[in-house]
Amino acid sequence: MTTEELEQLLAQQPVALLHRLARGRVHRQFRAGKRRLIELLLQHSSQNRAGLESDLQTLIGERQPRSESEPSRTHRPSPLPTKKTSLRGTDSEPLESAISLSAWLEGIGVPAPQPFIPDPWQTEALSAVSETDVVISVPTGSGKTYVAVEAARRAMEDNRTVIYTSPLKALSNTKYTEFSKTFGPDKVGILTGDRQENGQAPLLIMTTEILRNLLYDAASGEIDIRLDTLGLVILDESQYIADPERGVVWEETIIFCPSQAKLLLLSASIGNPQDIADWLTSIRSTACRLVRHSKRTVPLRAGYLHPNGKLTPLFRTLGIPHGHPHQLHPEAKRLFLEYEDETLPSGRQRR
Amino acid sequence: MPPSIHPVDLIAALRQQHLTPAIVFLTSRRACDEAMEAFNHADLVLPPVRQEAIGTALERVIEQYPSITEHPLIPIVQRIGVAAHHAGHLPSWKIAIEELMRQGHLDAVFATTTLAAGVDFPARTVVITQSSIRKSRDFTDLTIGEVQQVAGRAGRRGKDHVGFAVVTPSPYIDLAVLTKGLTGQPEAIDSQFTISYPMVLNLLKAHPHEQIQGILAKSFAQFQLNQRAELLEHKLDALHVQMEPFGPRVCTDWITQWQTFDHARRHRHTRHQTHRSESPEISARLPFLSPGRVVGLSRGRGIVLRQYRSKGQKNSMLTILRPDGAVTECPVTSVKEVYDRTCDFEETPTYPWCSTDTFDRLSHQLEELPQRLPVLPILTSTSHEPLPDAIVQSMGDFPCPTCPSRPACQKDFVTASRLRQEQQRHTKSIQALRASLWHRFQERVNVLQKFGYLTLATQLTIEGEWARLIRIDHSLLITELIRAEAFTGGDPSLLAGILASLAHDDDRPGAFPRISAGLSSLLGQVRKLAESLSPYEDPPLLRADVAALVERWVADPTLTWIGLCRLTTMAEGDIYRLLARTLEFLSQVQALKSTHPGLAGSASQAITLIRRGVLEELP
Ligand SMILES: Nc1ncnc2c1ncn2[C@@H]1O[C@H](COP(=O)(O)OP(=O)(O)O)[C@@H](O)[C@H]1O
Ligand SMILES: [Mg+2]
Repeated sequence: MTTEELEQLLAQQPVALLHRLARGRVHRQFRAGKRRLIELLLQHSSQNRAGLESDLQTLIGERQPRSESEPSRTHRPSPLPTKKTSLRGTDSEPLESAISLSAWLEGIGVPAPQPFIPDPWQTEALSAVSETDVVISVPTGSGKTYVAVEAARRAMEDNRTVIYTSPLKALSNTKYTEFSKTFGPDKVGILTGDRQENGQAPLLIMTTEILRNLLYDAASGEIDIRLDTLGLVILDESQYIADPERGVVWEETIIFCPSQAKLLLLSASIGNPQDIADWLTSIRSTACRLVRHSKRTVPLRAGYLHPNGKLTPLFRTLGIPHGHPHQLHPEAKRLFLEYEDETLPSGRQRR
Repeated sequence: MPPSIHPVDLIAALRQQHLTPAIVFLTSRRACDEAMEAFNHADLVLPPVRQEAIGTALERVIEQYPSITEHPLIPIVQRIGVAAHHAGHLPSWKIAIEELMRQGHLDAVFATTTLAAGVDFPARTVVITQSSIRKSRDFTDLTIGEVQQVAGRAGRRGKDHVGFAVVTPSPYIDLAVLTKGLTGQPEAIDSQFTISYPMVLNLLKAHPHEQIQGILAKSFAQFQLNQRAELLEHKLDALHVQMEPFGPRVCTDWITQWQTFDHARRHRHTRHQTHRSESPEISARLPFLSPGRVVGLSRGRGIVLRQYRSKGQKNSMLTILRPDGAVTECPVTSVKEVYDRTCDFEETPTYPWCSTDTFDRLSHQLEELPQRLPVLPILTSTSHEPLPDAIVQSMGDFPCPTCPSRPACQKDFVTASRLRQEQQRHTKSIQALRASLWHRFQERVNVLQKFGYLTLATQLTIEGEWARLIRIDHSLLITELIRAEAFTGGDPSLLAGILASLAHDDDRPGAFPRISAGLSSLLGQVRKLAESLSPYEDPPLLRADVAALVERWVADPTLTWIGLCRLTTMAEGDIYRLLARTLEFLSQVQALKSTHPGLAGSASQAITLIRRGVLEELP
C-alpha cells in the first residue's frame, strides 16, 4: 500500500475505528479529530507501517460481517466511554424532537427600556456587605459591578475608604473611567507601581499586587492613613485566586486585609464558591456570606455554523441542555461528522 | 470543503440572521489580522451614516489618546464596521475598539481567547472556533469555566433578549470539549499558593518567627490541605475499625513480630542483599508508589502498575503506564512527583500486572486527568530502620515457632499488615499535609539565611531590610545584582535594559536592534549570576534583544514611538507591555531611596525617560 492509499483507506473508516487503531500508538488520541488522528497515525507508524496496516485490516475485518445488519456503532462496546462514540450514539432518535432553526432564531432583538430594578441577589449581597464579608459567584454579565458601585457608595457615605482591585491594568483603567463618571473625578483615584492619580481619593483603584504591597508596608509599621479608614475592599475577578503565577497575591491580600474592612469578592461562576466562603469564615472575624446563582440573566442559545455557511442549532433544545452534553441537534451532528470526514485527507493546513 | 469558514462569509451569515454584533474568538493574533486582511479585499461597505458614526466616536477617543490618531486600521474599521482586538495592539487602540463596541457601532470584533478574561465588553453573539488554547507553549483544552467565560460575553443585559454562542469548526476543534463546556458545571478552583522570598522577608519583618506558622495556616492553601487531611482522617477512622480484630495477641505487636520472623525465615539464605542503599527520600516514597498511583516523570505522567526489585539495580523499579498506552520500566528515582491521586486497580500476577479492564480504564483516566494535580507531600523520616542484620541472624530467639497463636498470626498477617501499612501511610500523609507549607517556608528561610538576608535568629539583616522592598519575579537575582554593585555606573538606560530582560516573559522570536557593548557585557554578568542562583530561583529568559530595545528608548529621548516600532518586528502592544513591565520593576528599585540613593536615582531617571509619548497616556 502506498502512503496515499493507506491515507485514503483510513479516511474511509469511521472515527471510532480510528480511535481503536490509535490506542497505544497516538498520544492523547481521545482528543484528536479525525483528520488529526490520521495524520498522527501516519506519523507514528513511519517506523512500523506493516503493523499499522495489518491492525487496520483486522479491525476492518471485525466490522465487516456485522456491518450489514447494524450501522457503525455495533463494534464491541468500547471500554472507553469516549465522547466521540456518544456523538454518534443517538442516531436513531426522531428529528421532530429537535428544535427548528426558525424557532431557535426567534426572539432576537432589543428589549424595551425598563426601569432599573436590582435583582434579588444584588439586594441580598448589598445588605450583607454592610455587616460582613461577601463572596459573589454568578455568571459573567449578571451585574456584579452594580453591587460594587453601590457598596462603594455606601461605604464612602460613611466616610470610609474603598479599595477596588482588578487583575489587569487594562481593567483598572476601564473601571477608573467608569467610576470617575459615576462618582465624580475627585472621588476616584488610581494607583500603579510608578504612578498615582488622585492617590488620596476615597475610592482607589489598583491591581491586586499593589494592594498586597500596601498591606505589606502597613504590616511592617509604615503609616498609611488610607488603610486606617479602610471600610471596604472589593476584589473583582477573584477567580484569579486559582491563577498559577499570581493567585497567591489574592490569598495574601485576603489574609492581610485589615479586620475592620469588609471584603467583597466578585467572581465568575466557579465550582466551589462555598469553599472560598468557608475559608473566609474560618480566618475572618465575621461569618462570610455566599451569594451565588448559576442562571444567566440573558438566556443563551448555542448554534453550529458549517463552513459552507449553513447555520443550525447545536443542541436539540432551545436553551442549553445543562448536564446533557450529548443532546446534539441531529443536523449539527450530521454536519460536524461530515466535516470531520470531508476535511480529509490531503490537507495539512495550519491552524 | 474549506477547513473553516471564510471571515467575510462568517460575518455575512451572522448579519443575515441579525446575530451581530458578534465577538469572534480566533486562535491567534495572526488569525485576527488575517481576518481583517480578508475584509480589505472584500467589497463590503457600511452605509455612510454608520461610517460617520464610527468616525465621530473614534474622534472622541482620539482626543483622549492622541497616539492612535494615525492608526493604520482606522480606515478599514470605519469602512466595514469590523475590527480586531488583541494583545499586539496598543492599550489605547483596544480602548477605542471597546468603546465602539459598547456604543454599538461595530458588527464584529475578531479577538483572541485571552480577551475573554481581560476585558468586559459584551455582544449579542460570540463565535467559538477552537477548543484549546496555548498555555505556556502547549495547547490545552479549554476548561468548562473558560468556555463559560467566553460564552458569557454573549447577550447584553438590557440590549438583547437572547445571547448566542455559535460554534464553527476548524481542523483541530474538538466539539466534545465545547459541548461539555457549555452544558457543564464550572470546575472547582484550587489554591496556587507559593512562598516567595519577598513574602518571607515581609512576613518576618512584621511578625516574629513563631507566629508565621499561624499566618500560613490562614491561607486558602492550608484550608484545602486541611480538607484533604480530614478526608484521610475519616479513612483512618475506618481503618481503625477494620483493625479491631487484629489487636494484641500473645505478643502485643504480633504483626511486627510475625513479619520479622517470616522475613528472617525467608531470607536466611539470601541475606547479603545490597538494596538497602536507598536514600531516606526515596524510601519514604516507596509506600506511596503502589499500583494505581499517578506520578509525574521528567516527561509527562504515568500510573504505577507495580513496584519490584531487580537484580543489579540499586533502586527499586517501577512498571509504569504512560499516556500513549506504552508500558515502561524505570527506577523509582526517575519519579519527579508523587500526586495525591490513585486509580482503582485490579492486580494480576503477570504483565501488564493488572486486568485488561483496569488497563483500559487507566489509559483513559490518564488522558483525562486535570492539568493540575495536587502533589502529595511526603515527610522523610530520618530514622528509617532497615531490618537489622542482628535480628535476622538470631533466628533462635523467635517465640513464633512454638507459639499457640501461630496459626492465627499466619492466617491474619497479610490482611493485618496491609491495613497497618495503610494506617501508617495515611498518618504520614496527614502529617505532611498539615505541615507542608511550614516546611516550604523553612526552606526559603534557609536560603535567605545562607545569602545573609536573615540572621540565624530569623531577623532581617541590613540587607534583608531593603531587599524586602523588591517584590517582583526574580527578586533574589535582582537583590544579588544590587549587592554585587552591577549597576554602579548609574546609567539609566543600562539599568532599564537589564530590568527589561528580567521583566519580559514572552518567548516570541523577533528582530531587534543591536545591543550596545556595555549592556552586552552586563548581561553576561547577569546570566552568570542567574545560573549560579538557579538552585534557589528559576532563571529568567534574559532576552538580550528586548533589553536592547528598551535601552534605545531610554538612551535616545528623540526617538519617536514610530521610530522605536520600526527597530523591531515586535508588535506595538508587546513593546508597550515590555516598557510597562520594565516601569514596574524600575519603580521597585526606586523604592530603595534611603539605602541606595544612587541606584534609586538612576531608576527614577529611567522612569521619567520611559514615560513619554504613548507611555504617558494611561496611568
Ligand atoms: N438589576 C439589573 N437590571 C438590569 N440591568 C442590569 C442590572 N444589574 C446590572 N445590569 C447591567 O448588566 C450589565 C452587565 O453588568 P456587569 O456588572 O458588567 O456584569 P459582571 O457580573 O460580568 O461584572 C451591565 O450593562 C449592567 O448595567
Ligand atoms: Mg465584571
